[in-house]
Amino acid sequence: MIRVSGVVKTFGSLRAVDGVSFEVAPGEVFGLLGPNGAGKSTTIAMICGLLAPDSGVITIDGGSPTDPAARRALGVAPQAMAVYDELTARENLRFFGTLYGLKGAELARRCDELLQFVSLSDRARDRAGRYSGGMKRRLNLACAMTHDPKILLLDEPTAGVDPQSRNSLYEAVDRLRDEGRAIIYTTHYMEEAQRLCDRVGVIDHGAMLETGTVETLIEKHGGASSVVIERPAGEERVETDAPLGVIETALAGGDATGVRVERPSLETVFLNLTGRSLRD
Amino acid sequence: MGAIIALAKKDLLLLLRDKAGLFFALGFPLVMAVFFGTIFGGGGGGGGSSEPAGISVAVVDEDASAASSAFVDQLDASGDFEVTRSGSRESAADSVRRGTRSAAVVLTPGFGAASERVFWGDPATIEVIYDPSRGAESAMIEGMLMKLAFSGLGEKLSDADSVQTSNAEALRSLEDADDMGPLAKASLRELIGAVDTFFATGSESWMEEEEGGSPVGQMQWQPIAIETRSVREIETAGNQEEGDKGPGSGYDVSFPQGVMWALIGVSAAFGVSLVQERSGGTLRRLRVAPISRGDVLLGKALACYVSIIVASAALLVFGIVVFGVRPGSPLLLLMGMACAAVCFTGLMMLLSVLGKTEQAASGIGWAVLLLLAMFGGAMVPLFIMPGWMQSMASFSPVKWAILAIEGPLWRGFGVSEMLIPCGVLLAVGAGTFGIGAGVFGRMEES
Repeated sequence: MIRVSGVVKTFGSLRAVDGVSFEVAPGEVFGLLGPNGAGKSTTIAMICGLLAPDSGVITIDGGSPTDPAARRALGVAPQAMAVYDELTARENLRFFGTLYGLKGAELARRCDELLQFVSLSDRARDRAGRYSGGMKRRLNLACAMTHDPKILLLDEPTAGVDPQSRNSLYEAVDRLRDEGRAIIYTTHYMEEAQRLCDRVGVIDHGAMLETGTVETLIEKHGGASSVVIERPAGEERVETDAPLGVIETALAGGDATGVRVERPSLETVFLNLTGRSLRD
Repeated sequence: MGAIIALAKKDLLLLLRDKAGLFFALGFPLVMAVFFGTIFGGGGGGGGSSEPAGISVAVVDEDASAASSAFVDQLDASGDFEVTRSGSRESAADSVRRGTRSAAVVLTPGFGAASERVFWGDPATIEVIYDPSRGAESAMIEGMLMKLAFSGLGEKLSDADSVQTSNAEALRSLEDADDMGPLAKASLRELIGAVDTFFATGSESWMEEEEGGSPVGQMQWQPIAIETRSVREIETAGNQEEGDKGPGSGYDVSFPQGVMWALIGVSAAFGVSLVQERSGGTLRRLRVAPISRGDVLLGKALACYVSIIVASAALLVFGIVVFGVRPGSPLLLLMGMACAAVCFTGLMMLLSVLGKTEQAASGIGWAVLLLLAMFGGAMVPLFIMPGWMQSMASFSPVKWAILAIEGPLWRGFGVSEMLIPCGVLLAVGAGTFGIGAGVFGRMEES
């Protein structure tokens, strides 16, 4: 459904995107992970048709993103709250729906569906400027879906929202995947990527370092598990492929006050691949 | 086209809900139009009723003669001055210093005697004590006093008895003069004698020629007769069918200026709104939608254009209904408004790319527009500017927009006279829109 193949984009002497390739299938959530300046935004801008690649090919639902007809398959929820504060939720939805050719009863029905989908039906007549951060994020997502797109680009959709709204958004993303949509999801939260993404791609310095399922990446780049032994004098960390043996030895020593096992995570994968934390 | 209209409708709705934007688009221009219309002689032909107040002066009569007293009464009755009689020049000067009076007018001792002499002797002296921060008013006061003095001289020369008395006084003074040669004295004596003879014989014969006539009425004399007529009156006189039109009022001038402020307010608001779209992320969403960049810009331009037309029309309708502004040619006025709207829509596009943030765009936008307004005559009339500034005004679209609206409103412009201002406005509008759209496109791609 989305195919990005060998895409390169330069700005002057800066090679912002350097031969990035990946695919996203229908009903799949693909996490695009990378620190600020890694090339994520430029890649997404090219998928949206806002920037033309210097070389390489991007197709969305078989068409070019620069073709307005092909872009109908695309829905975008930008990281910024891209809604009009002075318009109500319904007015925002109606406006964006109109741009995609919806009108009359169909538009009204679609607005109702979306308001219900993001749990804003009871606040539909309130101006967006009066919403909490979480409500605005939900409206931001709804506005991306007015035309029922097959592909969704969700750029940091949970940034700055409370845990309750975050869970609500997770559930929404799950439902969208279940409906068969292809979703590209960018986030700074590793646990979020682990929770939602079927596959992830790690991008840094404009290059795609690795793609795969979370499990595959952890297995490949996560390294060994760690056993942390707590003693009155302090903690001892032991990396091992056989944690049970280390635990037995620690307990036999008699001075351990606690023991825990830390398994490798996506955070560890990212650290091992890029040499830095995602939020650096 | 549907997308462009949807974009425009959205922007109009946003403007309606933006109280500050709405104030600068409509409220502020209305306040300016009413305020300046009232100051600059509003009410002449409109619904206003207030006459402009005279210049406030403190008058000190140090001569205390019949002539000086009559002159003070004349000042008071002229309507040009708001006269307060003061007992001493010190208290009068103090009132000027404190800013309660624009100037003090002192009729010096000997004023009455001097005003009796016409052809010879020291003139009557009036001292004007003025506030240095109000130099312009001082010059106006000087001119008005001259006018009154000439008016008094005219009356004196129209009264044979008065002239003869004045001549007798002048002859006495001439004989006593030590600083004049015998030849000059003889010449003046001859002139005064001839005038005396003329008035002595003339007054009797005029009385005989026209029974019941007044010699003063027949000989009414003044050094110069000035008749003032506004161009609006000339237009009205040339078109008797429109005889119901009153003379133009200050509102005829101030409402076109108010329209300028509406143009400026709307274009500034929409210029910033495009930057808001960019910084807020909605522009990205719009650009992902199956519409072109041109659609987005045309939608913004359409909303700006409609807002300008609506705000201008609302102001002018208010002026017509409440203040009696009467457009000479409504059709040409519409044409002028339409061209001005094109121009300022183009400027809006250019302003929107001058700053990357809302604050920068707003600051730069207002600075540019205020400069254009200053040099274009929206703040102060062009005629009081120095010559080089008046030449520069032609580079400001504000000047042409004022002309395109004033032309059909009260200057009596025909279609041919509208061509230049409208042509300039359309060219500036198209040029600035093109440049703005080009820069906007490059900004998006970088």
